Amino acid sequence: MIKLPAGNVLGLLARFDSPAALVAAAEKVRDAGYKKFDCHSPFPIHSMDAAMGLKRSPLGWIVGLAAVVGASSGLGLQWFASTVDYPLVISGKPFFSFQAYVPVTFGVGVLLAATTALVGMLALNGLPRPFHPVFYAEQFSKASDDGFFVSIEADDPLFDEERTTQFLISIGGGNVEALCRD
Amino acid sequence: MSAPITETPLLTGKHSFSGITAKISGIAERKAPVPWYLALGAALSLLLVLFGSIGFLVFEGVGIWGVNNPVGWGWAIVNFVWWVGIGHAGTLISAILFLLRQRWRTSINRFAEAMTLFAISCALIFPGIHVGRMWLAYWMFPIPNQMGMWPNFRSPLLWDVFAVSTYFIASLLFWYTGLIPDLATFRDRAKIKIKKVIFGILAMGWRGGNRQWRHYELAYLILAGISTPLVLSVHSVVSTDFAVSIIPGWHTTIFPPYFVAGAIFSGFAMVVTLTIIARKIFNIGDIITVNHLEKMNKIILLTGSMVGYAYGIEFFIAWYSGNMYEQFTFINRAFGNYAWAYWIMIFCNVLVPQVFWFKRLRRSIPVMFIASIFINIGMWFERFVIVVSSLSRDFLPANWDYYSPSIWDISTFIGSFGLFFTLFLLFIRFLPMISMAEVKTVLPEADPHHGVAHSRPGGRHD
Amino acid sequence: MENEKTAFRPILSGIFGMIAAGAAIVGLLLSGVGYFLDARQFLFSWLTALVYWTTIGLGALFFVMLHHLVGARWSTVLRRMAENLMWGLPVLAVFFLPILFHMPQAYSWSNPEVMAGDHLLTGKSGYLNVPFFTLRLAAYFLVWFVLVSLLNTYSNQQDTNSSASLTKRMRVVSAAGMVLFAVTLSFAAFDWLMSLDAHWYSTIYGVYVFAGSFLALLALMVLIVLQLRSRGILKNVITSEHDHDLGKLLFAFTIFWGYMAFSQYLLIWYGNIPEETVWFLHRWNGTWKTASLVLIFGQFVVPFFVLFPQAVKRMPAVMKAIGLWILLMHWVDIYWLVMPSLHHEVHLSWMDVTTLVGIGGVFLWFFQRGMRSRPLVPINDPTLAGSIRSLS
Repeated sequence: MIKLPAGNVLGLLARFDSPAALVAAAEKVRDAGYKKFDCHSPFPIHSMDAAMGLKRSPLGWIVGLAAVVGASSGLGLQWFASTVDYPLVISGKPFFSFQAYVPVTFGVGVLLAATTALVGMLALNGLPRPFHPVFYAEQFSKASDDGFFVSIEADDPLFDEERTTQFLISIGGGNVEALCRD
Repeated sequence: MSAPITETPLLTGKHSFSGITAKISGIAERKAPVPWYLALGAALSLLLVLFGSIGFLVFEGVGIWGVNNPVGWGWAIVNFVWWVGIGHAGTLISAILFLLRQRWRTSINRFAEAMTLFAISCALIFPGIHVGRMWLAYWMFPIPNQMGMWPNFRSPLLWDVFAVSTYFIASLLFWYTGLIPDLATFRDRAKIKIKKVIFGILAMGWRGGNRQWRHYELAYLILAGISTPLVLSVHSVVSTDFAVSIIPGWHTTIFPPYFVAGAIFSGFAMVVTLTIIARKIFNIGDIITVNHLEKMNKIILLTGSMVGYAYGIEFFIAWYSGNMYEQFTFINRAFGNYAWAYWIMIFCNVLVPQVFWFKRLRRSIPVMFIASIFINIGMWFERFVIVVSSLSRDFLPANWDYYSPSIWDISTFIGSFGLFFTLFLLFIRFLPMISMAEVKTVLPEADPHHGVAHSRPGGRHD
Repeated sequence: MENEKTAFRPILSGIFGMIAAGAAIVGLLLSGVGYFLDARQFLFSWLTALVYWTTIGLGALFFVMLHHLVGARWSTVLRRMAENLMWGLPVLAVFFLPILFHMPQAYSWSNPEVMAGDHLLTGKSGYLNVPFFTLRLAAYFLVWFVLVSLLNTYSNQQDTNSSASLTKRMRVVSAAGMVLFAVTLSFAAFDWLMSLDAHWYSTIYGVYVFAGSFLALLALMVLIVLQLRSRGILKNVITSEHDHDLGKLLFAFTIFWGYMAFSQYLLIWYGNIPEETVWFLHRWNGTWKTASLVLIFGQFVVPFFVLFPQAVKRMPAVMKAIGLWILLMHWVDIYWLVMPSLHHEVHLSWMDVTTLVGIGGVFLWFFQRGMRSRPLVPINDPTLAGSIRSLS
């Protein structure tokens, strides 16, 4: 991990009063052209994706693929075990009794899909990630309680500590705070 | 399938976002109330009973149980099916009610999901220990070995292994996904270093940014979407343990949906029982209100009626089939040597839920508490009747025998409650027992159009 | 608001009614000719068509009662449509008369000689006899008639009287009605369909028939909604949000139907008892095997994959196509349940079409009468405004 010198501004954080104010602020930040910003809230806010200009998450396709892979490997395992590797006649049924293989096929498909849903969500979110500049702000602990924040990161091309601070204040942000190690 | 016609508020009293955080986090942050310690003590004692019973089972073998020939399946399978069934309500609340946009679920889903996990844990004990040489239980999994053997994929007992373990893992992942934002709250509120580190690790660095929420919400929706067919499949697979055989009383096509309905029925009864206790001890009657309980009682009435329907249809078709073995089995259930168990089952599962037709009784805490306990007893007896009455009266009258449990059957079952309650009490003490992030969304101020002139009521979820 | 009021006005055009009446007259007349040419074929085609429309009517009754019971809001705008579809249900009782007059030709158990020579059937004679069959049939239709008229009467009253007691009354009727519905539908399925093969039995049969009937109703609702919208009717009332919800229900019940069908099949296949497997064997021989495959793929696999992606549920063209497809497959399903008792090979007859059109014409004529005689949505329902705006 790179040790950053103290006092180096990594971004800005501003607090808003309500979900409605946060949605309005997100629209303005988006329209101002910022790309590396985020809106933090203790619960998901309906219509925030549109306000921030975010597309639908691709997770559905990933999980769908995992389900197909899981189900086919489940079926493949049963086919291999019962017809190729160790064929046994059981209650007079065919070696490849697809009827009887449905439950396990389904189970393995679901297992892989469910695991992928969580792991994929974390991966798309870049988690686990213990460190993030927003955690430098004392007030950020309210983001999981009743605080609504906009954060803009310093490596956004439009970022300028002075002007971005003014911008955040102009759109109604309170407690604007520079994120840096102290 | 959205909100009820008379729009009663989901929570009673006045709440704010921070108020909810403080109230629910407070349960885990304050010193635990005395009843909690008493309950934990009792639960741990029962847990010791479980360990003792299993220890003696390992030492002595399954001969200590009451199973005989022909009743080779006794309390172990009854307990297994019963506990798995209890678990179903949690997934129903967290997944199916989510898909149906029933926002009242937010107060109880965390709680019910935890109950699911602990109930499955209890259930998994029984197939694990009943195999005799339980240290070879891993043979149930398809692991390549020097004998070149595979498990029998055409056996419903193996389907069970896959269905129930998938169910456990998927429920755990679903539960954990729901917990992440709340774990972040606990992390942010933690005063002590060690708590901060533990919850910090568990929360994985959650920041509550909308860039995270958008993946998170879809992941939650997907997990709900796949848990729904999963929960239906699990008890269907459990029912095939019986139904694919040709034992009269077991081999009947209605078993899969009938088992699922029964599972949800008993699971909701258990949720009601536990909720009533928890809201009393922790004083959270304003978050889990009587309205929540009433809705659960309606689901109990619905699923109870489905179970009653299945009993009736089974009885009719047994007669209609003209098959003398089927006919005998059902007459024997109602009037044979296990008639006492049958009538307990009918009383608890068919008659008792009928009280919920009346609004006043549906909203009465004492009535629903007693009814929910009766239903749990009744559902245990349902499995007992299915397993034991059919086996004890086999095709060959020369094999007929009466089954009664031994003291070890009873102690293992009672001990399993120790495991269940120990886990449960630890959960409500150390983790957020109500989903704070989700409860906040049902407050009017959570709507981004709140206070804006053209407010659009409607569901949050997709 | 004035705009909305006119939007709910009953449909004035009588063209659909004339088409339905014409279809009814032509279909019934031709079927009548068929009766004189080949009475057995006529009876079986007639039974298939009759059960087809009855199950759709029952699906509508279930939709309305479910709506009241769960206090749903999103479906309020669809309620009147389902209520109008219910109107045709009690009327269908009349069409059972030809079957009652020719019982022995349709149901072998009603033949005294067959009954006498078969001890299994003799054992069932307490249930399977013509007077009791007739009595039950009358009882089913009486129950449905009472439920349909009560729900429709209260609904009409609600249009002029916005008292909350009507909402409550409809809910009470639905609660009791649901219990009666489950019993009557199951036994009707046993009587009319399962007893065609009087030796065979399956406890899940009633639930299986229910799954198909609600699925078909949903498909029909999708079609009607989209058809109305393409003519500009209820355009801003039933929105793509409702399409989405209907699509999700259609998807869910496709899975539910598949679950029921597979449960029945797996348990019988696995148990492998001849007296049970014979039913599937009849449906897996010769050309019936093709019909079975059409059913598996048509009623489950195709709709499952078509309806799976989220975006599809808001595409009118695809939803129309899949709605029609599912309605067709429901007919294949009923045909598959009924016809193996008559033909050893799939044998399509022109009477299959004329009976379906004839009875369907009558059923849909009652539907359009409702659409023309009262507002298209329950205008005084307290949840209406919320329903119009509801988001999927």
